[in-house]
Amino acid sequence: MNMKAGVAAVGLAMASLAIPVSAHHSWTAEYDAKKPVTVKGVVSKVEWTNPHTHFYVDATDANGKVTTWNFEMASTPALERGGWSRKTLPIGTEVTVEGFAGSNVAERAIVTSFKGPDGKEFFVPKLGN
Amino acid sequence: MKKLLVAAITIAGLAAPALSGAQELPRRLGGENGPRKAAEAARPAPKLADGTVDLSGIWTGGGDAPIPRLLKKGELDTLLLPWAKQKMASIKEADDPYFYCMPGGPLRITGGFAWRLVQPAGERSKYIFMLQEGNAHSFRQIFMDGRKHPDDPSPTWFGHSIGHWEGPTLVIDTIGLNDRFWLDSAGTPHTEKLHLIERFTRTDYNTLQRVVTIDDPGTFTKPFDITYTAKLGTPDSEILEYFCIENNQWGDRTNPDQLAPSVPIAK
Repeated sequence: MNMKAGVAAVGLAMASLAIPVSAHHSWTAEYDAKKPVTVKGVVSKVEWTNPHTHFYVDATDANGKVTTWNFEMASTPALERGGWSRKTLPIGTEVTVEGFAGSNVAERAIVTSFKGPDGKEFFVPKLGN
Repeated sequence: MKKLLVAAITIAGLAAPALSGAQELPRRLGGENGPRKAAEAARPAPKLADGTVDLSGIWTGGGDAPIPRLLKKGELDTLLLPWAKQKMASIKEADDPYFYCMPGGPLRITGGFAWRLVQPAGERSKYIFMLQEGNAHSFRQIFMDGRKHPDDPSPTWFGHSIGHWEGPTLVIDTIGLNDRFWLDSAGTPHTEKLHLIERFTRTDYNTLQRVVTIDDPGTFTKPFDITYTAKLGTPDSEILEYFCIENNQWGDRTNPDQLAPSVPIAK
């Protein structure tokens, strides 16, 4: 058995069932597709809630100033179906998050990629149109 | 195409590690679960012991597509009365009551999330229920005991629904709807005169066709039909819990004058 192909097939099935963040509403109404952001920081709060989950990440700049980012993710059912639980990213975890900044408040952003301290990527449902 | 494939495989790679720590997941999956075998799709709709077609199960979709997209280009414009056309042109997506966690009405109860049709057998078959995982986490109750609509029902979000069978097709007739929800995400309007006739047919094992006659003389020049399709979830799948009202931050960013209710979230 080609192991790699097997893993890919399972993964494809997972990808195709992911209910997009836009199940509740269109993400472009709140976030700016022209403002991609990458934030390295520490998880300071997890809201395992609906309509969407929120992961708060504290990022410290060169001057020691801390900015708390409010990163929005998919609903709890969508994440659970992707293998997440509320304990997947405990408070204090070092993360690198990519996404798009909020249209009104930049630090309220939406997630497109979540990487743990070892660079491991977590499943993030695809954004809708 | 090549780019698409590469993107899909990248996502596949990301998903695989998460799966290994969630052995129980497949049992909990709701909704469409990837491509199915053609042989399975070709199986006929199952039947209950009394011969009634069994529509029960977890379904996805079947009521969430915007109505303009289900009609010919420009057709809706010919159906809308002047006030309705004007209203539709003036609304903003951010005003959709659905985003403020209000119930989506009889059509959108099936939209965006997994939903379950409950069709009890035997004595209990006097009811059919549609359970919605998402948004208002609500349900529709359809009376199957032969009763009639009340004469003048007070309008509600899901109205008064009575059902009967026409061969393999479940026919649901609904009146008594309020005008506080949008029929779809496009903001197609309606009035309290709205009368829906839905025809559900399980055209094969995995497919539930829903033909809806929209009859609202307060909004449209004549009744018209739209067709939706729902797909069956995986065997043993379940609907999960989703209360939109729990932590809705929608209004915060789109309309500062209309903030969503703020609920403290326990750590």
